[in-house]
Amino acid sequence: MKKLLATVLAVSMMLALVVSANADTFTMGIDPEYNPFSYMGDDGEYTGFDVRICKAACELLGWDFQIFGVNWDQKEMQLDNNECDCVWSGMTIKQSMIDKGYVISAPYYNSEQVLVVKADSGIASSADLAGKYVAVQLGTSGEALLNEDLADWTATFGQLNTCENFLICFTELEGNSVDAVFVDLPVAKAYVKDHEGLAIIDEDFGAEEYGILFRNGDDAKCAAIEDAVAQLVANGTYAAIAADYPDIVDNLVFLQAD
Amino acid sequence: MSLTTMIVKMSEGLGKTCSIFFLTLLFALPLGLIVALLRMSKNKIVSGITRVCISILRGTPLMLQLLAVTYGPFYLFGVSVSRNKLIPVVIAFSINYAAYFAEIYRGGIESMPVGQYEAAEVLGYSKFQCFIRIILPQVIKRILPSITNEVVTLVKDTSMAFTVSYQEMFTIGKQIANSQTSFVPFIVAGVFYFVFNAVVDFVMGRIEKKLNYYK
Repeated sequence: MKKLLATVLAVSMMLALVVSANADTFTMGIDPEYNPFSYMGDDGEYTGFDVRICKAACELLGWDFQIFGVNWDQKEMQLDNNECDCVWSGMTIKQSMIDKGYVISAPYYNSEQVLVVKADSGIASSADLAGKYVAVQLGTSGEALLNEDLADWTATFGQLNTCENFLICFTELEGNSVDAVFVDLPVAKAYVKDHEGLAIIDEDFGAEEYGILFRNGDDAKCAAIEDAVAQLVANGTYAAIAADYPDIVDNLVFLQAD
Repeated sequence: MSLTTMIVKMSEGLGKTCSIFFLTLLFALPLGLIVALLRMSKNKIVSGITRVCISILRGTPLMLQLLAVTYGPFYLFGVSVSRNKLIPVVIAFSINYAAYFAEIYRGGIESMPVGQYEAAEVLGYSKFQCFIRIILPQVIKRILPSITNEVVTLVKDTSMAFTVSYQEMFTIGKQIANSQTSFVPFIVAGVFYFVFNAVVDFVMGRIEKKLNYYK
């Protein structure tokens, strides 16, 4: 009986700990494989532009900073289920998110979709992709674009491979099982820089913006984060962190003001 | 997206799920028997190597094996990745399941009393004849429930092919779930798998009954 009581007490104390820890914890939802915005650094800790900005913002706000790796194609569901407090990971703002009532921060990054191909493939424009194999990451805005706005173009592909993460997309490209990868520009730049023989085809596939996704009704949290980020921009921390990511600096909204 | 569209879209992927399932069984069942015989070989080297292979295949996740078979040749030797993903997927599934089947066969074969071999020898059967005509039919009867177990697992494991972006039913389900932010495709997938397995269960039950000729 005593043992049972002790167990029950221990469990309830642990639960209490978990609950109380939630009070001023801010859990950032990221795609842990989205270099340069969020990825695992050489030391095994999550890092990246978004991660470092969020961490700095949480320090300013006095919040306990936590990271949660979301399943990118289920990020909205995971956010709704309180598994994280926001999704902040080079995430494209989609009309569908606004329609569903999510609170979304002001855009902080201007992005676009590009094609990555092998430099010697002879593919020079989107028109050359007829009958070719194209890879895209599941749950990205690129996938949505190909299946919705650009569906007519997608229909001319030989096949569209939806991959679990963009590393698989690029492995398929390098392994010749697809001819092109449709991906966000900063990710493409980061990958092409580290891998030889690849080229980026930059056409106008529709501009897009990155934002931070919060649950419906979390306006206060969103405002607090926006405010903290504004402070980081004002005191130069933002620019200092951005300087470590030269590929994305040009497209950061807050650094374009002047 | 309406429920009907969802079901139609996912049914399109069901064909690919079925091809993984049937091709894997086609290759893994005979391969498993060969592996089982190698495993029981009197040659210590042969049985030792087979034993290590089986323990690797059973001791590592199927997902890892899928990645290794699909992208391994490219990373190691620069060989192009296959455009038809069904090939690496079926290879990975077949060798993985052959390892499990092999151990089931072995259990079945070793459970046969020695007296049967001796009786067969006395009656003038060769070793090969004895195995094919006398031992194997009894083994199959005996191991069928265990095989059914694995076959049912195989149905559900086909969803793993998503790892290497093979567009089977569950992959399409995930795509719909993502674009619609809806849980319904997962329920549809669950129903699909359940019905598939109900059929498997029924068919295996019939086979078991048919083989039950001594009672």
